[in-house]
Amino acid sequence: MHFVKYWYKFIYYRIFRMDDRLLLIIAGSIVGICSGLAAVCLRQSLGAVLDWLHPFRHYWWALFLPAAGAALSSIYLEKVTKEGPGHGVPEIIYAVSRYGGLLRFRSSYSRLISSFLTIGSGGSAGPEAPIVMSGSTIGSNLAKFLSLNDRQRITLVGCGAAGAISAIFNAPIAGLVFSIEIILGEWKFVNIIPIAIASVAGAEISKILYPGHTVFVHQPFNIVLTDVFASLALAVITAIVSIIFTRSLRGMGKISKQVPLPFWTRAGLGGCAVGIIGLFLPVVLGEGYHSIQSMISGTYSMGILIIIISIAAKIFATSMTLGWGGSGGIFAPCLVIGSLTGLAFHRTLFALIPSLANAGEGAYALLGMAGLISGMLQAPLTGIFLIVEIAGGYETILPLIVVSSISATLCHYIEPASFYLKELVERGQLLRPGSDSRILSDLSIQELIDDSYVQVAQNMVLREFLSVIKESDKYLFPVIDEDTRDYLGLIQINTIRQYALDPGMHDMILLNQIMDTTVVTGTLENGLQELLDMMDLNNIDIIPIVENYKFIGMISKAEILNLYRRELIMQTSIQ
Amino acid sequence: MNKKLLHIFRNTPFGRETFLQSLYFCKKVRVMPIVYIPETTKFLMYFAQDAVQVDLDNSYLTSPESSVKHATELFEANNFKPVFFEPKNFTASTLPDIPTNFDFVCLPRSISDLSSKIGLGHLGPKVRRIVKTANFPTLITSPVFKEWKSIAIFFGGSENAVKAAKLGLRIGKAADLPVRLYTIKEKDEKYYRNLLKDSGLEDEFNKDADDWHFLENNPFKEVLYEIPHDALIVLGAFGHGIIKDLVFGSKMEKIQSILTNNLLIAGPNCTVPYL
Repeated sequence: MHFVKYWYKFIYYRIFRMDDRLLLIIAGSIVGICSGLAAVCLRQSLGAVLDWLHPFRHYWWALFLPAAGAALSSIYLEKVTKEGPGHGVPEIIYAVSRYGGLLRFRSSYSRLISSFLTIGSGGSAGPEAPIVMSGSTIGSNLAKFLSLNDRQRITLVGCGAAGAISAIFNAPIAGLVFSIEIILGEWKFVNIIPIAIASVAGAEISKILYPGHTVFVHQPFNIVLTDVFASLALAVITAIVSIIFTRSLRGMGKISKQVPLPFWTRAGLGGCAVGIIGLFLPVVLGEGYHSIQSMISGTYSMGILIIIISIAAKIFATSMTLGWGGSGGIFAPCLVIGSLTGLAFHRTLFALIPSLANAGEGAYALLGMAGLISGMLQAPLTGIFLIVEIAGGYETILPLIVVSSISATLCHYIEPASFYLKELVERGQLLRPGSDSRILSDLSIQELIDDSYVQVAQNMVLREFLSVIKESDKYLFPVIDEDTRDYLGLIQINTIRQYALDPGMHDMILLNQIMDTTVVTGTLENGLQELLDMMDLNNIDIIPIVENYKFIGMISKAEILNLYRRELIMQTSIQ
Repeated sequence: MNKKLLHIFRNTPFGRETFLQSLYFCKKVRVMPIVYIPETTKFLMYFAQDAVQVDLDNSYLTSPESSVKHATELFEANNFKPVFFEPKNFTASTLPDIPTNFDFVCLPRSISDLSSKIGLGHLGPKVRRIVKTANFPTLITSPVFKEWKSIAIFFGGSENAVKAAKLGLRIGKAADLPVRLYTIKEKDEKYYRNLLKDSGLEDEFNKDADDWHFLENNPFKEVLYEIPHDALIVLGAFGHGIIKDLVFGSKMEKIQSILTNNLLIAGPNCTVPYL
């Protein structure tokens, strides 16, 4: 046993942990490969089940297929893996910003299976977020296995997300950018190399296992000046559609919670609505990659009116699927809605002015996709690089930048938080690196408590108290009950001056007669941000901390700011 | 009374027994009890290296309208001011985060296995994982409320046994109760005494402990009869590494499935609080 232990320690510490950067690169590539495998598994199985169900889609009873899938998916999540519905990306961001990227192992497979049930049966959702969840969880758990620290664990979580996006779209740069822009929220040198390697590993494993099956075939476009100007208008339209889509998704979620039905019935009802729409507009069913490909290659045959109806139908179908309890992400629906929007815009514009030269409707479908991704996720770089890699070149870069940046800016103006972050922002739980709330949350309240304050008994007479004051350098004195030692109030020296200057009062006044019982108190459970808010609200610079009715100490604004400064220096010095 | 014990309240007669046991522990050791009344059947605990999702069974949600009243009555009957824990952070809307900065946490033997709720049963997988990961000692109560009149420390020689000895000695001192060490002799007596000496606990032991019983390595069940029925057992857990635990099983799990006593368990990551 000792021999095994010796060699284990030798290999682990002397070879594997010789250099932490090397370790992260090796671990990152493993995570990237695992994410790629998850992507291939889900895509292959979704492709197989969608092909298998395709011949039955024209039967009337096919409307129940998405209902059954969504109901089964919600039962699986709620009863088998005991996780809530949703796509999981906010959960990853939450874990990264608050708990050093700790994710439960069960999340590595739970959402893959539930989204397979939802999307495979025809539900309108995307497989990207579940694969991102799976990859990130694998990264987090590998970090746990290797006993890595929080910062390294967060990097591996980012590796998982990058590997997933990269493997799905064969877009390693988009994977890297998605991971850093959306998941981690910080560009740091230590993160970029492992994540880039994971991204490449994810794309390569997908290509090796699934050769010749990229989601979208590269399509070169010849961009002209008209397209750049037209993209200004397209950006505004995609921003409006993004806002409508965001609000519809959240609104449906709120409505479904008010329906007094079991969770699986609600999911089934949502699926049923999708099934009914799907009978007439098949574009709303599933993840929609096939429709996107035909729009990019300019072979989408539907008329302008049907396209506009399809946009509304896809928004409604996705909201019904995800808002009512189905499982999956919004990435693929964004791409479908975006490409439909781009197509509708192109057909309308060039029907009105047919003589204008342009890059063709495929290019506008791509620009629409970039606009929707940038607007919904408020991540313009992800939108730009994803489309650049799908298009297979930088020809479209200028209109892409215009569409993505304007769409993201307009959406940010109307909805300050992206769809992924909105819930976290509303709960006050988004702690992005470098933000005030993040730094404050990293400070320990215990470090700030000054417990050197002298506690005085409520029945002490003023004369005795004056002698206590003489020996103390403090100007605040907590008053406690002699028997229970419970905190009762506070005495500030400047408020007792009138009694102190009148010797006749020295033996007549007890401290419980002059103490201030209205001073607001905090507890150890309060966050520093909360304590600062309480101090601001009550216009005080120092606050007593009372736990279980006992006085623990004082926390001052000055000490918080002092520690904040030190923490800020420490955090910003880590590159 | 700055130290805190978290108790997850179950509004059932069995839950009352475990809560009474927690309150008794708090009273003896002068620790502040804090009650969490779950509103969902799951919650998450984020430890330094692991996120553990605890899936409760539905009995934890029994009669939510009377939970606070029942818990308050038990608090007041034991001269404690009621303190309830309200989760502030949520990983998902139905998944609250429970902080892990408590000094003690009380757990039933299994939190999601209906078959072993009343009997001793075996440790549930979640309880096992919390014990393995937590930085606090875990109080696993007897199925029915019983007072304890002494502290029995199991000292088997592992790294965690040293922690358990330290914890037991501090608990004994805080509760002002006799402390006895029990060792099942697998090696020479001197080995265990040297181990205690090397870990710097010899002086504390000589000062605060009453006795050290070395039990012959007979069948385990027979040996355990020597342990007083009214002692709080303090022991280390999962200190031997995964391979030894897989091959020989966990001693702690054997003890908990045989003895009806209250157990205070120090896991591999546990830090022993000053009392």
